[in-house]
Amino acid sequence: MQFEYLLGGGAPTIKKYKMAAGHASGIAVLVAAAGATGLSTSTTTSWADFVGVTLDAILASAIPVAYSTVQGAVEYLQSVVINPDAVYRALMVGSAAGAVVEERTVGTASSNGLTIVGTAGDTDPSSPDMDEGTAWYVSGQGGASRKITSTTTTLTVTVVMPFAANTIGNKYHTIGYTVGTKGLTMSTDLKNVRVDLAATGAAARCVDMELNGKGNSYLHVLAADGVFSGSALA
Amino acid sequence: MGVTIHVPREFTKTEVTQAMEAPGKTTGRTSGSWVHDLCALRKVITLCSFCQPKFNPGRLGYAKEKEFPIVQAKCDGCYTFDPRCAAYFWSETYHDVRSTAAERRATRTAQIKAMAKLK
Repeated sequence: MQFEYLLGGGAPTIKKYKMAAGHASGIAVLVAAAGATGLSTSTTTSWADFVGVTLDAILASAIPVAYSTVQGAVEYLQSVVINPDAVYRALMVGSAAGAVVEERTVGTASSNGLTIVGTAGDTDPSSPDMDEGTAWYVSGQGGASRKITSTTTTLTVTVVMPFAANTIGNKYHTIGYTVGTKGLTMSTDLKNVRVDLAATGAAARCVDMELNGKGNSYLHVLAADGVFSGSALA
Repeated sequence: MGVTIHVPREFTKTEVTQAMEAPGKTTGRTSGSWVHDLCALRKVITLCSFCQPKFNPGRLGYAKEKEFPIVQAKCDGCYTFDPRCAAYFWSETYHDVRSTAAERRATRTAQIKAMAKLK
């Protein structure tokens, strides 16, 4: 993930924290777990008690090293941006390993623009459910996007605000996110957001979307369970 | 003899997290040595306006953050909290954690061109 901007504008607050393990750069870190020596790593589905996102990795002499608890060893620190209104930019991926997002193909033309029907072999858009998410074209519609209002097992997604008529072969994407959607499942490396799944998991909300192609589309997300946000101070 | 009653206090998650903040350089070390050690570890360097002229980011493979010219942080040189610090990122990992408007614009422009070709 990349630190992108602050909802309220202004300057980011960066702190160097002791870590409970060697974390990669650009991942969410959480309040120290009981008995841990520093901030704990997030998981693919949990950002509970979110502190911030790491801005550098643990490195020694330019080589990644394991976190050390040996007396006299270097104390491992990482910089974290901790603003509770920080918005992070996460690449959309199509699998835990970070594959590109599935590109779907129109298999049945829709003249009224209210439905998009995929091609046999495309993933069923109702499982994982993309309902209440977003559909956007990458060919044939000039990149137009709409909120999905229903999905069916017949490879069909429905919108209320119609697209222009589509034709067989138009390419499009569907994701389970729209502005305000809550819940992220991150890729295994904790840096990217999986859009092949329905929106569920880590406590974060979608603020905005950069809807490009299968390998360069991004979600802008805001942590919803931040330890400094005022909502979880206890 | 009076009895001392110890009442344990529950720390909040916020307090626990604040206690995790790095203490900075140990006494006896020079600021330059400390900052150079942080640079060797590719850490983000935050410096106040007084310490910035003493740091040469280009020579160490660092670049100043330009989209956020001001960050709130403790200065790694004098270890004083300053709401008007500058942040320096190691150039090679900058794009792991930050993007620039120019890059976002280039991505979007490339996508628009790609979509135009597919029409």
